Amino acid sequence: MSARHKKLINQPENIVREMLEGFARAYPSIVRLTDAGLIVRAQPKGAGRVGLVIGNGSGHEPAMIGFVGAGLMDVNVPGEIFSAPGPERIVEGIRLAERGGGVLLCVSHHAGDRMNAEMALELCAAEGLSGVEMVLLYDDISSAPKGQEAERRGTAGLFFTWKMLGAYAETGASLPQCKALAEKVRDATRTLAVALTPGTNPISGQVMFALAEDEIEIGMGVHGEVGQGRQKLQDADATIDAMLPPILADLPFRAGDEALVFINNSGSMTQMELFILYRRVAQRLDAAGIGVYGAWIGAYATTQEMAGFALSLCRVDDELKRLWDAPARGAYFVR
Amino acid sequence: MNWAEVLGAVEAMYAQKRDELNALDAALGDGDHGTALHTAFKEIAARAPELAQARPAEILKAAALTLMNRMGGSSGALYGTLFLRASVEVKDLDRLTGEDMARMWEAGLEGVMQRGGAQVGDKTMVDALAPAVIAFRDSISQGRPAAEAYEAAAAAARFGAVKTSELVAKHGRAKFVGQRALGQIDAGAASTALLFEALRNYWREKGG
Repeated sequence: MSARHKKLINQPENIVREMLEGFARAYPSIVRLTDAGLIVRAQPKGAGRVGLVIGNGSGHEPAMIGFVGAGLMDVNVPGEIFSAPGPERIVEGIRLAERGGGVLLCVSHHAGDRMNAEMALELCAAEGLSGVEMVLLYDDISSAPKGQEAERRGTAGLFFTWKMLGAYAETGASLPQCKALAEKVRDATRTLAVALTPGTNPISGQVMFALAEDEIEIGMGVHGEVGQGRQKLQDADATIDAMLPPILADLPFRAGDEALVFINNSGSMTQMELFILYRRVAQRLDAAGIGVYGAWIGAYATTQEMAGFALSLCRVDDELKRLWDAPARGAYFVR
Repeated sequence: MNWAEVLGAVEAMYAQKRDELNALDAALGDGDHGTALHTAFKEIAARAPELAQARPAEILKAAALTLMNRMGGSSGALYGTLFLRASVEVKDLDRLTGEDMARMWEAGLEGVMQRGGAQVGDKTMVDALAPAVIAFRDSISQGRPAAEAYEAAAAAARFGAVKTSELVAKHGRAKFVGQRALGQIDAGAASTALLFEALRNYWREKGG
């Protein structure tokens, strides 16, 4: 048993609640914390609009609490650390998001999230709550081969879906239209992540996986799920040179395409490293004839203090560009 | 049988084996399976006094809802489904015969397999649950008492759980641990074996 990682917390069993209380007190004009521990928009969206709900295990902050707000998600249902919320809490989130236009339950594809979302939908049906649909979202190319996209898991690249779907729902689009748009963004997005050093589970204090000093793992998931194998640590340019081609080949992105680029900090990378990495991404995309419509770089979906990053690209057409540029006001995403 | 007491026996089993389950889970997952399961059953056991007079189905349903809603994650969903489907199968019965329990566990197994999409051999709790349910059903169909059926079920569940060390996971987070899972017993299969061992111990003591 290794030593506990240094963390400034109180009683480990209270960390989720205390984190949510602090977050809600910091951003009272944007979000509100309910008694049941859900994060909802401080001002609900207009009547008749489709409500957007996302559940997730806690421990990945600012995902997803930071993406609740105008032009983004309406309700986030946080679970325990790295554990999906149960169905009753998800149903509570669906009720809170209902504004008369139906509710789209967004599911970042992990076994627990999918099962609990399915049970929540069964509960809604049993209780006569109609106009509720779910959409399964995924982006990580390392978790299943091409052709088996629906087996892939949801990671940082879902960022594009939160932003564009949030903007789309504000326009008064219908529930089926919102679901189709979420699928469109999902199907235009590809992500690959790399891990350098592990995060720790904040409750047990145990590291989540082990990597040698001079090793990285390309394709590692947000909970330390194994990727495409371990490699020797290389410099920033060589790392991007190894990661970008499989991403481009998977969609595929072609010369003449326009894309949004997102580099997500898994926890303890420096902003300096991320800019150095992005420099190489931009160079490589230039060389491939792929236009960059916009870039976003920072810590948005973390795994505690894990060192590593996820590189996500989303191919955009005029519709998606408009939705990307639309206003949004969440605690961790303002546009 | 008093099902509130039965679930209390399960709680005692998980209290004793919590750290062992956490250690198994740490190899392939978050390392919190024992704690999460024990916390949920502690809450269930705490409700035993108010449920003492309730029908078995109501007690099983209360356990299911606690597992689903308080535990969360994949384990909460799967164990919750096991107990919920079991409760639906024996709805309105005042006491459960061996035949009732055989049907109840069969319904639970079917629910777990539907919910998780796992088959035998996928390195999940199904690898312990399926043999346990089949062994229980066989014993009852041969006219044996429930206590003997639980002996057979617990032995089958333990055997199935141990055999998961020879498998590579195809579902859940453990799937992404890949070949590293070889040699490791699946924590969900281990906790299912403990569930049936707790049931066996209870019936050993109470007979029937």
